[in-house]
Amino acid sequence: MNDLENRKLEELLETVQRPARYTGGEMNAVRKDWNSVKCTFGFCFADTYEIGMSHLGMKILYYLINERPDALCERLFMPDADMADKMREAGVPLFSLESRAALNEFDIIGFTLQYEMSYTNILEMMDLGRVPIRREERAEADPIVVAGGPCAFNPEPLAPFIDAFMIGDGEDVMHELIDVIRDGRVAGLKRIDILRNLAKLEGVYVPAFYDVSYNGDGTLKSFKPNDPAAPAKVKKRVVKDLSNAIYPESIPVPYTEIVHDRMVLEIMRGCTRGCRFCQAGMLYRPVRERSMERLLELADKLQQSTGYEEMSLSSLSSGDYTCLPQLIQALMDRYRDKRVSVSLPSMRIDNIVKQSLEETQQVKKSGLTLAPEAGTQRLRDVINKGVTEEDLIRSVTDAFECGWSSVKLYFMMGLPTETDEDLRGIGDLAKKVVDAFYRVPKEQRAKSGVRVTASASVFVPKPFTPFQWAAQDTIDTVHEKQAALRQYLKLKNVHFNWHESELSMLEACISRGDRRIGEVIYAAWKRGCRLDSWNEHFKFDQWMGAFEDCGLDPAFYAHRERPYDELLPWEFIDAGVSMAYLKRENEKAKQTQTTPDCRHGCNGCGLHTWGVCDWVKDPPLKGKAKTSAPLAE
Amino acid sequence: MKLIVVFEKTSRLRHIGHLDLMRAMQRALRRSGLPLKYSQGFNPHILLTFAAPLSVGMPGKREIMEVPIEGEMTGEAFLGKLRPALPPELPCISARAVDDRHPAPMAQLAAAMYEAKLDEVPEGLAEAIPAFLAQSEIPAIRKTKTGMKPCDIRPMIYDLSLNGDALRMTLALCEKATCKPELLLSTLFDFAKLERPHMIVTRTQMFGEKDGVFYPLEEM
Ligand code: SF4
Repeated sequence: MNDLENRKLEELLETVQRPARYTGGEMNAVRKDWNSVKCTFGFCFADTYEIGMSHLGMKILYYLINERPDALCERLFMPDADMADKMREAGVPLFSLESRAALNEFDIIGFTLQYEMSYTNILEMMDLGRVPIRREERAEADPIVVAGGPCAFNPEPLAPFIDAFMIGDGEDVMHELIDVIRDGRVAGLKRIDILRNLAKLEGVYVPAFYDVSYNGDGTLKSFKPNDPAAPAKVKKRVVKDLSNAIYPESIPVPYTEIVHDRMVLEIMRGCTRGCRFCQAGMLYRPVRERSMERLLELADKLQQSTGYEEMSLSSLSSGDYTCLPQLIQALMDRYRDKRVSVSLPSMRIDNIVKQSLEETQQVKKSGLTLAPEAGTQRLRDVINKGVTEEDLIRSVTDAFECGWSSVKLYFMMGLPTETDEDLRGIGDLAKKVVDAFYRVPKEQRAKSGVRVTASASVFVPKPFTPFQWAAQDTIDTVHEKQAALRQYLKLKNVHFNWHESELSMLEACISRGDRRIGEVIYAAWKRGCRLDSWNEHFKFDQWMGAFEDCGLDPAFYAHRERPYDELLPWEFIDAGVSMAYLKRENEKAKQTQTTPDCRHGCNGCGLHTWGVCDWVKDPPLKGKAKTSAPLAE
Repeated sequence: MKLIVVFEKTSRLRHIGHLDLMRAMQRALRRSGLPLKYSQGFNPHILLTFAAPLSVGMPGKREIMEVPIEGEMTGEAFLGKLRPALPPELPCISARAVDDRHPAPMAQLAAAMYEAKLDEVPEGLAEAIPAFLAQSEIPAIRKTKTGMKPCDIRPMIYDLSLNGDALRMTLALCEKATCKPELLLSTLFDFAKLERPHMIVTRTQMFGEKDGVFYPLEEM
């Protein structure tokens, strides 16, 4: 950014909401001399600072890139609407927090894709940052635009805008990608040749090298590489050994309050439970645990470098971590004197933890979050959520006995085979949780009384799950079900939250979208859509207009059940889990048959042929073969 | 014992609010490994007091906080530990070890000096200042918790001068009487009938008072 832009920025910071999120200067923010490195990476998070700074993946990659002497990484976030408008008006480009470089000054810009409904923000950020939005419009000197993260497993909706996608774990492929781009730039290679070199990397998808054609009915006809450098299948990357993988030893500590303002230890990646709706559970396979030794070492370093007063453990299902009670005990012992509290993952409360709870106040009694997902055992069996009512009631009773008083229950509505009885079941379950509280002796339970919050989101079928072929409920059906649920949850001490069904419908369109959905996203952005996940900015009618502009029907994407023989837009990605396994699971769901956790025996999900899954043979269970079900966060 | 610490809140961090700054200092102290004192209770925090909160949007050149510690330590030793725990945008300048019974800076605070950097100096401002100060009473409207209140700010202005593009002012800042720079500036520009240029106001020094004389607060 030049001096004039800088001055203008200083002035407009005085007129926007919460300016401190645009000024950087945090402890542990990395400021390197641009002349000292060969490659500059602008890490973009397509949501506001408060959300982006709470995100673990960004912290890992920020640290990883800045550890390289030859590269630097700076952060850019989506400005709030008032700021975005004022920047545009004043001619201030989207800038990095570290050195206030404009987005288009970086060699590489990378987006992490966490949520489909942030995609218009990606376009808005590029536009504010003076980077041509469509990849074919980019000139030789423009940054190379890359993206990764869970939503990159169906990259097609963003194919018109992103030069290269990284599929799977980012730790290794990020280095390879930077090497290729750095070398290409130093050697003066043409953009297309750098992209060609990127396409040769395992786990990298370069959309320019693939052609797509469609059948008359709108379904995908073919998807083929058009360049010898591009593989027919793009295989996801897997970091095999988490204990030896890089992990941040210091992270920027924000001044303003963000969503999760604490240090986070990723104890494990992946999940073996096999819930049939859960995309993360499929994408992050296999399960890899970080050793307790390594975690304690990281915890020390993070505590010293951040001064945070709170630490939390992160994974898809922390209750499954082999030595969870020992880990929590060790952390609590270590940090008692330093006044660091440990927030427990959503959980079963093991005896050992319960004991510690009684002797210390070190554990934060923030709300307990449980996710039964469905209201009846039948439907929980369909979705393979291995939680029984008994488990749930035991978990909440334990928590109530330890003084917890507020419980959040997460449910989904619109799951395959759902009936009114399942919705009624949600009400029944909420009632039973309240009753469990009052069964705890008065002296032992919290004096504040109990508060149960039941949230029901709308089921969104996702790629690489057994339900990837399923139809989503129409908006009208969802509204009817929400009305019914409101009745069933009219209970004392129970509060009901529901989600915008329109937003979930769009999420369904994009998450299983093809390349043409990219044009819808573009049209929606042109019509003023951005910050869609923020209620006050969501413009559903503009989105519908965008579908019309493109001659596409949202129902085709959201409400249509796909036959097994249809070519799916994401089928060229090899996520490890095989189509055969997903079909098998989908069929079992129809029969209300469950599949056990694969820690007790491999279910042959596809990854068993990759040689990366430790649980295929002799699962390293340490005296914990049978556990009660964890309740995912 | 306790330490009287002088630090700078640089211009880059001027939009950080007081509570956020306190939290940042808490965390810096936790990183430092210094022998701190904690409050009792469910959410223990480090005992720490600031001489006076700084408004959002205002940088401070010599801000002051008081940090009680366990045991004995020199100011230099304290600085040596705290410095690396602070980001470059929030440097500490000095630390002075004093006895626990030493009066708190907050209690001794009397006035503060501010400097307003004007993007451009309007014609006529230099001439207006002597006339402005020559008034025996300067009526102004002060915003208080209970609403707008008329007051006389003349006795709260100890100094006001224009040096190049910087307006320097020393104003009362204590429990009994406080004149915020913003109030002075708006009154001054109204009086001079001048349009206000864009400016950044920095608090440059705080003072204590003894026998009618101001001393830098950190030396009191
Ligand atoms: S390979 Fe087997 S054990 Fe490993 S995740 Fe897949 S089903 Fe589970």
